[in-house]
Amino acid sequence: MKLIFEYEEQTTGYLPDEDIQIDLPKEIIRKELPLPNVSEISTVRHYINLSKKNFAVDVGFYPLGSCTMKYNPKINEDLARLEGLRDLHPLSPDDCVQGALQLMWELEQDLMEITGMDSFSLQPAAGAQGELLGIMITKAYFKQNNEKRTKILIPDSAHGTNPASAAMCRCETITIPSDSRGNMDIDKFKQSLTPDVGLVMLTNPNTLGLFEENILEISNLARNNGTLMYCDGANMNALLGITRPRDQGFDMIHLNLHKTFSTPHGGGGPGAGPLGVQSFLSDYLPTPRIIKQNNKYILDYNKRKSVGRIRSFNGNFSVLVRAYSYIKSWGTDIRKVSEHAVLNANYLLTLLKDVYELSFDRTCAHEFVLSSNKFGNRSAMNIAKRLLDYGFHPPTVYFPLIVREALMIEPTETESKETLDRFVMALRSIADEIKENPIVVKDAPHTTSIGRLDEVAAARRPNLRWVIPSRPGDENNRDLKFQKPDKQ
Amino acid sequence: MEEEIGFTKEHEWVIIKEGLALVGISDFAQNQLGDIVSIELPKIGSKFKYMEAMAIIDSIKASSDIYCPISGEIVELNEDLLEHPEQINQSPYDLGWIVKIKPLNFKENIKEFTDLMSKEQYDKYVGEIE
Amino acid sequence: MNYIPTSEKDQKEMLKQIGISSIDDLVKEFKPPFPRKLSLSKSMSEFDLTKHMKSLALRNRILKCFVGAGSYNHYIPSALNHLLMRGEFYTGYTPYQAEINQGILQTMYEFQSFICLLTGMDVANASLYEGASALAEAILMSSSYTGRNHVFVKNGLHPQYLEVLQTYCKGTDFEFTDKIDDKTACVIAQNPDFYGNVENLLQLSERAHKAGALFITCVVEPTSLAILEPPGNYGADIVVGEGQSFGIPLNFGGPYLGFFAVKDFLLKKIPGRISGMTTDSKGDKGFVLTFQAREQHIRRERATSNITTNEGLMALASTIYLALMGRTGLRDVAKLSYSRAHLLFKKLKGIGFEALNGKPFYNEFLMKAPKSPEKIISTLINNGIFGGLDLGKDTMLICCTEMNTIQDIENYISIVRGIT
Repeated sequence: MKLIFEYEEQTTGYLPDEDIQIDLPKEIIRKELPLPNVSEISTVRHYINLSKKNFAVDVGFYPLGSCTMKYNPKINEDLARLEGLRDLHPLSPDDCVQGALQLMWELEQDLMEITGMDSFSLQPAAGAQGELLGIMITKAYFKQNNEKRTKILIPDSAHGTNPASAAMCRCETITIPSDSRGNMDIDKFKQSLTPDVGLVMLTNPNTLGLFEENILEISNLARNNGTLMYCDGANMNALLGITRPRDQGFDMIHLNLHKTFSTPHGGGGPGAGPLGVQSFLSDYLPTPRIIKQNNKYILDYNKRKSVGRIRSFNGNFSVLVRAYSYIKSWGTDIRKVSEHAVLNANYLLTLLKDVYELSFDRTCAHEFVLSSNKFGNRSAMNIAKRLLDYGFHPPTVYFPLIVREALMIEPTETESKETLDRFVMALRSIADEIKENPIVVKDAPHTTSIGRLDEVAAARRPNLRWVIPSRPGDENNRDLKFQKPDKQ
Repeated sequence: MEEEIGFTKEHEWVIIKEGLALVGISDFAQNQLGDIVSIELPKIGSKFKYMEAMAIIDSIKASSDIYCPISGEIVELNEDLLEHPEQINQSPYDLGWIVKIKPLNFKENIKEFTDLMSKEQYDKYVGEIE
Repeated sequence: MNYIPTSEKDQKEMLKQIGISSIDDLVKEFKPPFPRKLSLSKSMSEFDLTKHMKSLALRNRILKCFVGAGSYNHYIPSALNHLLMRGEFYTGYTPYQAEINQGILQTMYEFQSFICLLTGMDVANASLYEGASALAEAILMSSSYTGRNHVFVKNGLHPQYLEVLQTYCKGTDFEFTDKIDDKTACVIAQNPDFYGNVENLLQLSERAHKAGALFITCVVEPTSLAILEPPGNYGADIVVGEGQSFGIPLNFGGPYLGFFAVKDFLLKKIPGRISGMTTDSKGDKGFVLTFQAREQHIRRERATSNITTNEGLMALASTIYLALMGRTGLRDVAKLSYSRAHLLFKKLKGIGFEALNGKPFYNEFLMKAPKSPEKIISTLINNGIFGGLDLGKDTMLICCTEMNTIQDIENYISIVRGIT
């Protein structure tokens, strides 16, 4: 499809036409604005047609492991667009935004109850930012206590964000291997738990979809060592109302509201990654905090030991609105979400484990990891592409890194048995195809509007933006170079 | 030692030629990385310690550091690689050379150089990884 | 409400297939078990939920907005929301499977192009969280490129942005200095600055480059780029900022849209996602996520950044906004914002306010009030107008956009004039 920049000049206009002179110095005025003028009808058709070239939860089953692609209730879209919630300036006086502050305060209370934590900050814009904040708080906490702890223990099954966030804070990460049951190797953990370890970062259930069987022992050992426990809450969809991270011994947790609490993934955000902590860390949370005083809600800018602000304004508020209404609609019944997420995952696992390999033969939580290693190198990628022909979004592939040819499947609770059965049929049929007609899998997909794309060319000769075609040799039109040629 | 090739555990190769260390990555390494799409080279004149990261190679699958196998100063770069990184895939020991290093301290460099694996040792090492 | 489709009959069959009798058998190893029901409110029907949410919304007051300060009240064409509500756009995730996500990948490419055209830069990513943390990422990138860790910030940076930088810098071991020298990783300047001042920053960028530092321009009100010189033309190596002005509602502060653009020599260090154009096996044009090998899921602790989920839908909103408004529409936005702000400024001067901007301004300005700003602002609020920010020492920061009509401005003036 052509680019929006490639339409012929058309007319458009949404604002009153006024004759306005700009009286600014010449050296700061722009000489030209090289944007297209496209009419509304062309623009609408352009983006409607582009929307049709996407796969999404509203289109079909999307078992992308670790991402919790559950259904996003439509009502929440309408509610987040209520004028009284949408059109509020973030710097409005507290008196004028009592409803918004009440919503945020109540959401904090609900997240506290769900995780067992004592306070929450709703500021982080995504899980990775919540993690970063958690590590900053860890650093500030030990600095306050005059302790030098710079190491972070992370299992080898962890999300890549964990070590990446640690590295941003200049902490050293020690990777702990997994044992034969998919838990963190407890002996290796004990050996690595030295006095300079500040933090243990765990995802529970882990990215293999397995509940950490030694969690209580791990958190006890950490506590006795003066080490804090951080929970990557990406997999909270398995635990709602069944067990609470605080009771497992965690001191901090971030939640991905776009996963567990059904706010739409938006084609790659926005998310929200609130951070919850135990009371001894509350004073380190970013400011402002929301407090309730005499039935009034106030933004409290008192810094205490706060690490400071991690973003502008009040968090991804309209994401918070959706998560809030999702939690309100479930209320006390929210445990059903996790029960059915776990049921659906185990159902799929039961029906697939004879055809694909299971690295750890245990009851899974809300997701599980199969291996297609017996079908050869790059088989996971080929299976993923073949699934497109069957009308499904593929699972996460090649993650976690510790399983060869990994297919990480997370069905979520919002899928019916009928859908799950169709997915099982597809994966079983692809396994047959690999044996009987391998070429059809290797060359997949066959039914999509476009075939497998040349990623090597995309990276070697990057074409990352449209350029004005009529002006060859123009400074803006040259090829992109990766590096300044070294002329020293 | 002249013209003799040595390998590191991180899969760099080194050849000492006219007092300079010529450095690249092994055939095994380029194979593991797959199609190389770009390389980020150090600046001429920059100094690196033994096994310090000095360059980054990107393939579609991975982005890997190239470690400095001999402490010293970068004196020459293979700038052709900026335009044609695929030369590392096609010719890892010849056209795909990456940098030339002037060793800094003769004594220490000798130790670094003797720590390198010979061709036979490296082939055995790689065989174990596979 | 119940968003689980499984009937009781299906549930029984599924349990039977697994070989167990109840779901409890599946979760018995989740320890310690939580012994009671979560103490949340009672489950709400869609009907009750809507009522409840409307009552919360009614507890907020929507005011006529004369405040910007990083969050700008611009007109959003109706067509935008209709397009954004397409489930095919908003219920998908990051387009890892290019073959079934060409739509979102193309819109990312268009977004990157729009940002490059507006800023005069070579490469843009597909978004970051919001302006302030995008600026923090720019510092991290500067340090990784230059190997230095000192940061120089020109006066006039949004105070919340400065706070965010301080938070990041504490966590990541950077230092703020008031010198530009051989330790400086980057020089940061916001344009228009927090007080609305606009200027050509060529001299500052030359100073930065002479010291071997990178020059970063931060743009918080990007509609200004419709009429102002693009930062790429005055030496910016990195342009970051906030894209909320492009079709994103005020949303009480989020989600907004961080944008991040660089000159090409920094391409490989860009955090976040980038869509690139390539061809498929048949030679047809298509798009893929590119340079993923530098991202956290592959490179882990050596990644360019930890960012994963960014603000894809907000980038899409901006892309559609810029497409709908077009060159003419965006210029109209900028001209009207400029003209309304200058009208209000002139009228305020006429009733005793004193101009404090040392330089020309775009749509935001700082004035010294002849009476207590606290009183002025509260009186205006009583009349449904959010009239400015009290910045202390009798000063007020005031902003206009095309949303502030001439009549609104007249009302504003007559209310302020009436304060005794």
